[in-house]
Amino acid sequence: MRAEEFLGLFPEESRGRWREVAKLAKRLQEVRLRAGMPLTILVDNGERFVDRQGMIVDRPEEAARPSPEELENMLGHLCRYSIYAFADEIRQGFLTVQGGHRVGLAGQVILDGDGRIKNMKYIRYLNIRIAHQIRGAADLLMPCLFEDGRVLSTLLISPPGGGKTTMLRDIIRQISDGTAYGAGVNVSVVDERSEIAGSYLGVSQNDVGIRTDVLDGCPKVEGMMRLIRSMAPGVLAVDEIGSLADAQALQMAGGCGCKLLATVHGGSMEEVRQKDYMRYIMEQGLFERYVMLDRRRGACRIVEICDREGKPCTRQ
Amino acid sequence: MYKAVGFLCILAGCAGWGHSLAGQERERVRHLRMLTQMLSQMRSEISYGKHTMPEICLLFAELNDGCYSECFERIYKGATEKGGTDFPKVWEEELGKCLEPLPLREDERRTMAELAKSLRFREEGGQAGRVGQAEAFFEGRYRQAEETLENRSKMIHSVSILAGLLLAILLL
Repeated sequence: MRAEEFLGLFPEESRGRWREVAKLAKRLQEVRLRAGMPLTILVDNGERFVDRQGMIVDRPEEAARPSPEELENMLGHLCRYSIYAFADEIRQGFLTVQGGHRVGLAGQVILDGDGRIKNMKYIRYLNIRIAHQIRGAADLLMPCLFEDGRVLSTLLISPPGGGKTTMLRDIIRQISDGTAYGAGVNVSVVDERSEIAGSYLGVSQNDVGIRTDVLDGCPKVEGMMRLIRSMAPGVLAVDEIGSLADAQALQMAGGCGCKLLATVHGGSMEEVRQKDYMRYIMEQGLFERYVMLDRRRGACRIVEICDREGKPCTRQ
Repeated sequence: MYKAVGFLCILAGCAGWGHSLAGQERERVRHLRMLTQMLSQMRSEISYGKHTMPEICLLFAELNDGCYSECFERIYKGATEKGGTDFPKVWEEELGKCLEPLPLREDERRTMAELAKSLRFREEGGQAGRVGQAEAFFEGRYRQAEETLENRSKMIHSVSILAGLLLAILLL
């Protein structure tokens, strides 16, 4: 991420405060803004603070504290002064902005008559998660994802912030472009949260390969079947499986002859096995590879690769 | 002979002046119609397309020509390039400049230029409703201007020719 791109995340009047932080844009992971609380940044997995002059400091007492109005302006700017256009995302608690960066939101929830979340007001907490495309992030993994030139269905597992999406994006790019292990394949991506391709005005902001089609902002279950019918993919990719419905849709997609690439939250194979939808996935044998990831000193690391039965193939 | 030529020149000049005034009225009607159509499209882009305001400006820049195209392109660029600037500010500045030379009334220019200030709704229904209010205002003005256009046009032509005759008689 370039410094100018980072500064563009902030309203014009507050960019001055972020100039020093922008110099670290390539190493920056998160920016947290909480009304009345110290401005916090996460650089190389280390927490730092930003003072009124925009200098990076170590002590929270010295940090600037944004006002609720500043956060409202920030939200307006992130939504391109069109908050209505992001109502669905705000309802879900996050929005994706140009460049594929994700902004988590918290505040007061407004419920409808059925107790479902209708909208959010008094948004006083913002967490900007900076998306970094790392070309070559999946280089070490690629030999394990092919067998006789054929792509193997793969599930990436890691705790939040473990680099699943970064890894998935690079796998998609390499499979789509073609590698030494297999020729390029048509890849379809259901990018429900716009995190993989980071589409803006329908155009992918990240390099996801020359044979990749992206269905942006579409719920996974509906999107997978739609892409299979319309785009005839060789490989179907989705991010963050989180329900039995997602697992069943994956099974249907796998039954149509597609290879699958997906991610799921989890700290270990044992932990993910506890989830009902993961038990379903493993019983159905939907994936031929399970890849455990974590992040160490800011870099995504492959911990373990397991086969269809969940037995380790390699350990790093 | 000279008097006859002079008489005709004065008459033609006054008739031309009248024609130009009537043309301004026609231009006003045309611009009111265009602004009404743009607001109607903006409303539907908000409620159905869920497009952001800069995206709508880009669309207007592509669909329109002349001053509107350039104006909306500048608004789009101002709101998006280099991280983007304050959208209501750039909207007001650019539309203010664009509408200034057009034959519109002051309240019509102000309504359009200040529209972006009221675009802070959190759901598309409310936002489209606010744009709909501006659309209703311009549609009312358009209907009114169109209804009076023919009569006013005839009147302006008649008055200008009569004024020409009177001036010619007085001078010659």
